[in-house]
Amino acid sequence: MHVTKEFKKKTFLKQLLLGLHVSNSISNPISIQQRKNSIKLSADLAMAFARGRTHWTHALITKLGQKEENKSTLKGILGRRYEILMARYSCPLLYQKVQRRKKSVTSYRFSYNAQKRRSSALKGSCVRVSPSVVARNLENRRTKVLKRLVPGGEFLNGSSLLSEALDYVISLKAQVDMMKSLWRATQVSSSSNVELVPSAPLQKKDASCTIANSEE
Amino acid sequence: MSRRRSRISEEEINELISKLQSLVPESRRCGSNRASATKLLKETCNYIKSLQREVDDLSDRLSDLMAGMDNNSAQADIIRSLLSS
Repeated sequence: MHVTKEFKKKTFLKQLLLGLHVSNSISNPISIQQRKNSIKLSADLAMAFARGRTHWTHALITKLGQKEENKSTLKGILGRRYEILMARYSCPLLYQKVQRRKKSVTSYRFSYNAQKRRSSALKGSCVRVSPSVVARNLENRRTKVLKRLVPGGEFLNGSSLLSEALDYVISLKAQVDMMKSLWRATQVSSSSNVELVPSAPLQKKDASCTIANSEE
Repeated sequence: MSRRRSRISEEEINELISKLQSLVPESRRCGSNRASATKLLKETCNYIKSLQREVDDLSDRLSDLMAGMDNNSAQADIIRSLLSS
């Protein structure tokens, strides 16, 4: 099992600020909705870059890159790297590995389902369903929502789905915290030049959380 | 063969479950022993949804703020204030 890496806060901040700059400087009169989408895109991209290469960051960037409305903002943020990155994230190697695993699971399940069907064809007899099949079906039903929520989760199962979900939750929480502090800083700087004393202890708490995470 | 595989990853799963329990706020209230897998999954899903909603809301607020700002001075102020703390 991989150790949860430290969420690179400086990378996140740098990437988000770049994204905000691009969102702000798009010359055509831009609607609030478009600016908001552009900011959200920057934040998600920043989160994925700050976390590094995992299954869900790969799936997230792929998903973001495929949407037509995101392309102009992405080009602005990534610049020359846009072509290279989009090529990498349109043909994911990770997916191929996972899909190979998925195929074997499907064939395994198919043979058991065939056996189940054969046994259930005899009316009146008790159906002998393999417990592993039942367990797997139950697990699939329970994790259906989680699979939809975690990017790239549809192809994962069991412990890998859980570890990806855990990682995703940690990164989401960090993303929210950083966006909150950014918003507070923007508010303060737009109103007056008061020192950010109230948020200083919060920043220290973030730093200690990061240290704790990296020690795990 | 699947039984052997599940025995190896059982420790992993327990570790993951305990980590998830410590992160997700709702499941921290009830004792960790009583939390069932289904409940934990549900709480995790709700937590992820609420975090995503927060990101959405923050993007809204940031876009409102940025709309009324001059670009360069905003950048400089933000960076200065964030790096000073």
